[in-house]
Amino acid sequence: MEITGEFIAFFILSVLAICGAVFMIFFTNVVHMGVSMAFTFLSIAGIYFLLNADFLAVIQIMVYTGAISILMLFGIMMTRHKETEEKLNRPIHYWLSIAGAGVLLVSLVLLSRGATFVSDSVDTKGYGIAKIGELFFGTYMIPFELASILLLVALIGSIIMAKKEGQE
Amino acid sequence: MDVFFYLGPIILMLLLLGFVTYAILFERKVIGWIQNRPGPNQVGPWGLFQTIADVLKLLLKEDVVPGKADRSLFKLAPIIAFVPAFAILAVIPFTETWQFGDFAVGLLYYIAISSITIIGILTGAWASNNKYSLLGGMRSAAQMISYEIPLVLSVVGIVMTTGSLDLNDIVLAQKKVWFIVPQFLAFLIFLIASLAELNRTPFDLPEAESELVAGYHVEYTGFRFAFFMLAEYVYVFAMASLTTCLFLGGWLPLFGLTMIPGILWFLLKFSLVVFSLFWIRATMPRLRVDQLMQFAWKVLLPLSLLNIFLTAIFKEIPVLSSFY
Repeated sequence: MEITGEFIAFFILSVLAICGAVFMIFFTNVVHMGVSMAFTFLSIAGIYFLLNADFLAVIQIMVYTGAISILMLFGIMMTRHKETEEKLNRPIHYWLSIAGAGVLLVSLVLLSRGATFVSDSVDTKGYGIAKIGELFFGTYMIPFELASILLLVALIGSIIMAKKEGQE
Repeated sequence: MDVFFYLGPIILMLLLLGFVTYAILFERKVIGWIQNRPGPNQVGPWGLFQTIADVLKLLLKEDVVPGKADRSLFKLAPIIAFVPAFAILAVIPFTETWQFGDFAVGLLYYIAISSITIIGILTGAWASNNKYSLLGGMRSAAQMISYEIPLVLSVVGIVMTTGSLDLNDIVLAQKKVWFIVPQFLAFLIFLIASLAELNRTPFDLPEAESELVAGYHVEYTGFRFAFFMLAEYVYVFAMASLTTCLFLGGWLPLFGLTMIPGILWFLLKFSLVVFSLFWIRATMPRLRVDQLMQFAWKVLLPLSLLNIFLTAIFKEIPVLSSFY
C-alpha cells in the first residue's frame, strides 16, 4: 500500500474517532464523556472531508459537534454537576454484550463481503451541494417538507411542555 | 507552489500574531482617544511595545491550576478554543490567488468550525470549578448559539443572489455593486450578530466584570489565559475578513482603481471593519441579560427572515433583479 497524505490523514482521523468512542464508554465523568464524544463526531466529519463530501462534513460539524455536543454539555453542567458513574458489577450483562457485539461484527463482515462496491476510485466531484439542493427541492420535495414539519411540531411541542412545567 | 503550501500557514500564523499584537494596541489607543485620554504611551515610542511587554508578562507568570479543578480538561480547554479560530482562516480569500483552501461550501465551513470554540469555552468554564466562570461559560454558550442563527440567516440573501457558498464566487459576484448596497438590512443584522459572536461590547456579557469578575476565564493565568485572548482576537481578524468578503467586495477595487493591488484594497476594507468594531466598543453600553436573548429571537431573527423574503421577491422584479 502506498503511503500518501490522504492515507496518513485517514489513519489519524480513524484512530481519533475510535479512541473518542472507546474513551466515551470508559470514562466515569459525564462531562469527559461529552467531550470525547465531540471528538468522535469531529473525526467522522474529517473522514467525510477526505471522501470529498464537503457539504455532509460541514453539516456533521454544525449539527453534531456544534449543536448536539454543546446541548449535552450544557444539560450536564446545568443538572448533575459533579456526578460520576459507578462501575456496575453485572457479569451476565458483560457476557451478553460481548455476544451481541460479536454477532454484529460477524453480520457486518458477511454483509460487506456480499456487497458490490462500484470501484476503487469514484469521481465524487459531480455530487456537490447544487446536486443535493436539486434533489431535495425537486425529486424528494414532499419527504423533505414532511420532515421539516415533523421537526417544527417537535420544537413547538417541547416549548409547550416546558411552559406547562414552568407554570406549575 | 509547494513551498508556499508548507510555509504559507506558518507565515499566516506569524502575520496573525503581529496583527493581534498591534490590534490590541490600536484598540486601546482608539478607545483612549474617544474617551479623551492618550492611551498607552510609556513602553517604547508612542506605546508601540506595550502589547509585547504585556505578553511577556503573561508568559512569565506562574502557571496556576486550581486545586479543585478538573486538571485534564482545564489544560485542554484553551487548545479547543484556539484551534478552530485558526482553522477557519483556511477558506478566507485574501486575494484571487492568496487563499489556502478553495471550498465549494466555504461559508458554511466558517460557520461550522467557529462553533467548536464554544465547546472549549464551556469545558474551560466547567473545569475551573468556579461559579463565576461556570455562569460566564453558560452565558457565552447561550449567547453564541442564539446569535449564530440570525448570523447564518442574514447571509442567506447573499447566497440566494450568488447561487454559491464559495467565498470566491461571492466576492466575484460583487463586481458591479457591493452587497452592502442591495443587502443593507442583512449587513446590519450580520454586524450586530457578529459582535455578539465575538463576545465584544455591547454583547460582552460572558465577561461582564461588574457581575462575573471576568467570566469563563477567571481561573486562567499565564499562557493559558493568553490563548483564550488570542482566540478572541483571531476571531476579530476572521470576522472582519469575512465581513469584507461578504459585504465589501473583498479584494475588488473601488471606482475601477485597478493599479492598486487587490491585497491593499482588502487590507483597507478590513481595517475599516476592525476600526468600526473598536469604535462600537467605545461608544455602546452593555446590554442586560434579559434584553440580550429577546433581542436575538424577537428582533434579529424575524428581520433576517424578512430579508430572505424580500430578496426572493426582488429577484422577480424586472428592474431590480439585476442587483439580486
